[in-house]
Amino acid sequence: MDRRRFIKCVGCGAAAAAAGSNYWQDVLGGLQNACAFEFAKELSSVEARYYTKLETGGIECGLCPRHCLITDLERGYCGVRENRKDIYYTLVYGLPCALNIDPIEKKPLFHFYPGTTAFSLATAGCNVNCKCCQNWDISQSRPEQTDNIDLPPREIVDICQSRNIPTIAYTYSEPVVFYEYMYDTAELGHKHNIRSVMITGGYIESEPLTDLLGHLDAVKVDLKAIRENYYRDYVDGELKPVLDRLVQIKKSGVWLEIVYLVIPTLNDTDDEFKELARWVKTNLGSDVPVHFSRFHPQYLLRNLPPTPQKTLERAHQISRAEGLEYVYLGNLPGHPAESTYCPGCGKILIERRGYQIYQNNLKGNRCKFCNREIPGRFT
Amino acid sequence: MSKLSGNPGKFLDQDQYRFLLETGLKIFIGGDPKLFLKSLFPKGAVGIKTNCLASFNPTFKPLADALTELLIKVAGIEENDIIIWERSNRELKNAGYKLNASSFGRRCLGTDTSGVGYSRDFYNSGKVGSLVTRILTRMVDHSINLPVLKDHSVAGLSAGMKNMFGAVNNPNKYHGNNCDPYAADINNLAPIKDKHRLTITDAARVQYDNGPGFDSRSLDYYNGLIISNDPVAADRVALQILEHLRAKNGRPPLAKVGRPVKYLDSAQKIGLGEADINRIDLRVVKVNEKGRERGVSRELF
Repeated sequence: MDRRRFIKCVGCGAAAAAAGSNYWQDVLGGLQNACAFEFAKELSSVEARYYTKLETGGIECGLCPRHCLITDLERGYCGVRENRKDIYYTLVYGLPCALNIDPIEKKPLFHFYPGTTAFSLATAGCNVNCKCCQNWDISQSRPEQTDNIDLPPREIVDICQSRNIPTIAYTYSEPVVFYEYMYDTAELGHKHNIRSVMITGGYIESEPLTDLLGHLDAVKVDLKAIRENYYRDYVDGELKPVLDRLVQIKKSGVWLEIVYLVIPTLNDTDDEFKELARWVKTNLGSDVPVHFSRFHPQYLLRNLPPTPQKTLERAHQISRAEGLEYVYLGNLPGHPAESTYCPGCGKILIERRGYQIYQNNLKGNRCKFCNREIPGRFT
Repeated sequence: MSKLSGNPGKFLDQDQYRFLLETGLKIFIGGDPKLFLKSLFPKGAVGIKTNCLASFNPTFKPLADALTELLIKVAGIEENDIIIWERSNRELKNAGYKLNASSFGRRCLGTDTSGVGYSRDFYNSGKVGSLVTRILTRMVDHSINLPVLKDHSVAGLSAGMKNMFGAVNNPNKYHGNNCDPYAADINNLAPIKDKHRLTITDAARVQYDNGPGFDSRSLDYYNGLIISNDPVAADRVALQILEHLRAKNGRPPLAKVGRPVKYLDSAQKIGLGEADINRIDLRVVKVNEKGRERGVSRELF
């Protein structure tokens, strides 16, 4: 990718997300003028965190529950961390391969400063292998196979400050695999009043997550199913650690939202929707937003149809009946369940169509009609 | 397979590799190598996949040179129709190969060469899907797998089948459960399976432990080449040699150290080849340093 193409990519993505908005025109104009990004010629060689050297030789990675055992010159499952003579390196520090300025609603985070933007970035690599991945071309690639931009944490924060972008989002692939880069960027961002949000599958060990949460403002977790066999067969991961991390995030006080991608025949039964809603209500609380998202045939699941709207509405209905207060439907632009309703008076609080906000009836973090407090970060 | 008598503790040179290749092929086909090679590679380009992950213990250039010479002189293949390849140019260079992506002379290039890269289409066998190097999908018509035999920290054995991990974009997704059934799955991907013609495994100098990175303390010399058109059988024989050298050097069997080589049975189950050593038509020819045959048997040691 040459520089012109890169500028075009950044511009098109953001423009498509918010056509017609003066605010976006300003942001885009500024970004194009500031496009001095360098394409990296080499991978990074920054020592990774959370690994132990083994007495028998090799190292054990402790970043995610996979605990890869890696000998010299080999990489972990993620493909972006490499053992070189028993020192473990991250190869993607400061080397994102995808950048964009997104509405925060695209993450989706619906209770987190609605209508604001997020400087969104990802590197190559992922620590699972979801058969439905929509970003497989970067998540399932090694960093040698992607066009990487040389963008250290300092430059990200500078861009956000100079363009009035309040939030950095680590997203698209799996930020856990570029943990060190995310951590340092988030830490630096906080020093300059720039927020950070992680969009993740939640497949991370407890200790690194604890350390990271101190520098994050919100986390969106893709809970891919509520059954272990789905994680085994379609994710190549495990459910239990993800559930544990959800509880950990909730307890930390960092804002949490959940997405559940509904895939026809794989995770779309009434029992699963009930089980999910009950688990969320019991372990996280009824006020954690849950987004049921529509599946489109992708990657290794191109044999399945898109999720029928009725299935998503059934998931919505069951979850509401089980007591979840903020249930949304995603990838169904224009559907009423894209909007936020007050659980107290039932009136519309935030009306959304796609990523656009048409009305916002919050007064601070309260419903302006009945004064009920709405969970989230709004002011 | 062919095995050189004598020459303990030395690198083989190009002439010695050529002796081994010629006699090995002759014994393997039981006839004239020229006719065999011409029928195996009737027309089109031939890709030779090396294993250059560890720059101190790669597929040695003298072997690749000897094979190239044979393909040109005996099989009549155009020099420019031969492509020595790896996943990256850096690995080839570090192993002593001279890169050449031009229209003149033998080509030698990595998948990361500008304009090469990976396929747009997915190939899928088993749980994982992959993009396959365009060297295999577009640039060559026939594939020779030219690995070096060594120990592997996850798979147990690194030989021919493991070498094809270097043909896909996401080899890291294929390492679980001692690479089983993933090594079989990779070799069952259409461009790899359909274009495979020969596996020629360099078992001259074998790293019997602490692989796949280089460990100078774990080297022994077998001085042999394994030649087969059956990728599973070639690896089964390679495993026999590896286990023998491990035992000789006081190392426990791979299964005892948590690295059982399970993927060969999985490969047999999906029809890639023969994993039962007793059912393999094994012919071992010993060659002296002057290239003279010293008898054929089933005895590997």
